[in-house]
Amino acid sequence: MKVKEAKDPTKIVGKNGVVLRKSNYDSEGSGYRTYEVYQRERVGESTEKIKPSQLISDSFRFDPYPSLEILRENYPCYRDWLSNCYWITRYNDVTSIFSDDANFETRSKNHFLRAEGLGKDMGSELPVLFAQEKSFDEDTSRITSKLIEELLTNRTVDLATDFAAVLPLKILAEQYGVSDEESSQFGHRYWRMQRGTSWDPRLQMDGKNAAQELLDFFAGKIRSGEHKDMENCLSAMVALGAKGKDVVATLLNTDHETMHGALSNLWFNMLTSPDKFEKARSSKRMLKLAYLETLRHSPPVLSAERFALREIERFGRLIPEGARLICSAGAANRDPRIFDNPEEFTVDRRDMCQREPRGQYRADGLASGIAFALGRPSIHPAVPEDRPRSMYAIIRDASVSASQILIESTRGIQLEKDETVYLSCLTVGEMHTCWKLPVSLQAG
Amino acid sequence: MTEFAFIEELSDDAHEEKNQRKQEFPLMPEGEAFDMGTDESGKPLIDPRIFDAPEFFRNPYPYYRILRDHYPVFHDKLHNTFWVTRYEDITECYFDDEGFNTIPKGSSSGVLGNTQLELSGVEHRRRRNLYGQHLVGKALNNRIPAIEHLADEIIDGWTNLKEKDSPFVKDENGRRTIELGQVFANEFPIRVVCEVLGFPKESQSQFYYWYNSMMSGLGGSDTHKMGVEARQDLEDYVSEIVEKRREKPTYLYDNDGNPISKDIISKLCETKVDGDFLSSEEITSNIALVVGGGGETTRGAIMNMWALLLRHPDQFSEVLKHEENWDKAFHETLRHSSSIGGQPRHNSFDIEMHGVKIPAGSLMQMVDFSANHDDRIFKDPEKFNIFREDLYSGKLLRSGYAKEGKCSHMAFGVGPHLCPGAWISHQEAVVGSKIMSKRMKNPKIREDLMPKDIDGKKPAPMGIISVRDLWLEFDL
Repeated sequence: MKVKEAKDPTKIVGKNGVVLRKSNYDSEGSGYRTYEVYQRERVGESTEKIKPSQLISDSFRFDPYPSLEILRENYPCYRDWLSNCYWITRYNDVTSIFSDDANFETRSKNHFLRAEGLGKDMGSELPVLFAQEKSFDEDTSRITSKLIEELLTNRTVDLATDFAAVLPLKILAEQYGVSDEESSQFGHRYWRMQRGTSWDPRLQMDGKNAAQELLDFFAGKIRSGEHKDMENCLSAMVALGAKGKDVVATLLNTDHETMHGALSNLWFNMLTSPDKFEKARSSKRMLKLAYLETLRHSPPVLSAERFALREIERFGRLIPEGARLICSAGAANRDPRIFDNPEEFTVDRRDMCQREPRGQYRADGLASGIAFALGRPSIHPAVPEDRPRSMYAIIRDASVSASQILIESTRGIQLEKDETVYLSCLTVGEMHTCWKLPVSLQAG
Repeated sequence: MTEFAFIEELSDDAHEEKNQRKQEFPLMPEGEAFDMGTDESGKPLIDPRIFDAPEFFRNPYPYYRILRDHYPVFHDKLHNTFWVTRYEDITECYFDDEGFNTIPKGSSSGVLGNTQLELSGVEHRRRRNLYGQHLVGKALNNRIPAIEHLADEIIDGWTNLKEKDSPFVKDENGRRTIELGQVFANEFPIRVVCEVLGFPKESQSQFYYWYNSMMSGLGGSDTHKMGVEARQDLEDYVSEIVEKRREKPTYLYDNDGNPISKDIISKLCETKVDGDFLSSEEITSNIALVVGGGGETTRGAIMNMWALLLRHPDQFSEVLKHEENWDKAFHETLRHSSSIGGQPRHNSFDIEMHGVKIPAGSLMQMVDFSANHDDRIFKDPEKFNIFREDLYSGKLLRSGYAKEGKCSHMAFGVGPHLCPGAWISHQEAVVGSKIMSKRMKNPKIREDLMPKDIDGKKPAPMGIISVRDLWLEFDL
């Protein structure tokens, strides 16, 4: 058999300086190359700039941004062998996955709590959504004012734990007909249940127990007919035929992390740079922009998981069926391809859209910051008039008015001296936010 | 060794990280598990970070026991994996290659290339037989003289050595001390592979470098780049050889200089799949796979076997008395401390195992280490006993895993993906060891040179990685 001579001895060098091919040798007849091998050549990816263990390390828990930058700039679709997942880190890539629900599925929190039998998430039923919207619009200012009144009895207040963490739980308690006496226990159980979606077996166990306690609690409430006098999410759900387990499933999937984390991070960002704070407090509109910028600059929920429904080629890689994709908002929101000077917290950012984005995360031709959970932007191009506003807008308005009330009813808010404040996750994969933000304030 | 300079740098970093993890999971005495808490029913919990901890690497078996007894299928959410740990479950999965497939999702494909590891069914069988047929039966018997010759040559190097010219060979008080890895086990399996492949002698030192780089690149880690580059170099080199051998095949010779058969590269050059000759890229992939499978694994088997036998002198003397006991010792070593920890599989359908729901396409780690120590199959599994009655140590089974009421160990896997190098690796270890046992009089382990366990007295456990250095002494 006659064999061809090597055609081209010049080296072909890949992105990271890896020599991909030195010659274009191929044998006659069989040009067979599997996709994997072809992919290795074309993507030319080697991953010497980061070790996958870095992505579950302690330093990542405190400051994930340097590692995320390495991923975004070098390995936009990084195969993490250790945690068996793919990291997607560029803005346009991340949003393209979110809008592609034909190929990538979202798994409900029941899956992560390993409580598939828990019940049905009724959070997207129209009556429940309306009840939620009404509560956020009407109850927020009352609950916030009352909370601030309580806080003002102390000279020093921890805005992270006493304000940002408590407020969403209080509003949630209101929506589910939980009385003031029950609310602290409710908040505790709710918080434990949310943490149960973690990978840590102790938290999982605790979370399942908390879910059971909540189930008993709500089943008792429904049995005694308490909900009949109410007009809130709970009553709306029961009217639709919900049982205790459905209420708990809905609660589990309605998480508080965006509001809690965004409020905490917003105040963290403002208090650590007084000139920005000055600008943000100047008007309610500026405060709203500061809130939006917070979700972009330091999103509390760093990433969302999507699972490939079928084998699919994306970003120059063959992504297998069932693969877990970590879509990183932390990295995408600081993508210099989209935002100028992305590390900078700029209150009135010109290159970010300033209203609720509809359709592909953009509005008015500008990109929005990516935020998850309650703040999920609608991916539908338009919303019919007989529907409530998107959760993104509702939560934004609630958070901004709560912050506005805090600013108006107090004066001289400033960080306690000699306090170092920082953002962190409690365990890898949890909310990235500020857990300690002591301030001194006076009634204004 | 300038090529390896930057590995040293990285390992500094890794060291720091290891120290950090040490604090999370303290080192325990061999056989005891660190208490990670229990749930209300008293069931022990497993913190998935243990799988990255140094404690786990040196002392994995107590943790596998917890998994087997309490979580036969453990959903590790941190590593997004389902760990399967019982013998019966694993064998069932291995035999069902439709339900538990091997399509490429691992890191090996970048380095090894396109191999049959990732195929199933007929496609897999066809490719596996391309070279697998040269490693078994009559073809293997033909190669045994060559293997013996090689072992002789290497062992001669340090048994007849007059002057000390190596840091790994020292003479004291009429006894000679050697490090078995450096003088024999590291080199021997790779030399055998080179020989049966028909790799030119002059490029064998380069071959070690490729081998090492490709092995360290398999993990898809920071050394992945080295692996990919080494594979490319190997491919360039192999394509030259292939061009020549397509026209003029080369042969293996017996001790008298008569040709026995063509070497594997020459055989592959004339092999057709679907009517096409294999490309040099495919031949490289097959070579890479044979090398990857035949190096470190056989090395580990030889080292572990000698370490275990010498630490059980009564069994060692039985082996010396009756040569056929070497086979038993080989199989019991692979059961007790094998070099391969397990194999990944992906479930093709949504399934439920032991009450755990596993969505289609999930990564399932079949832990062969754990299956080998499953006391549902092997009585008193932590004990090394070459005469155990429940381990099958006869002629290797090509299908099935049990015969005469005894079960095989899992070091070679079972089912359609059973290691095609099992037979030759067996021959290498046994032939090499037989020759060594005749040349070394009264061998003993130099325990003073071996690493110690945390109590500072007992020898360090073998754990997941096989014995790294084995210091032996014997009469001159």
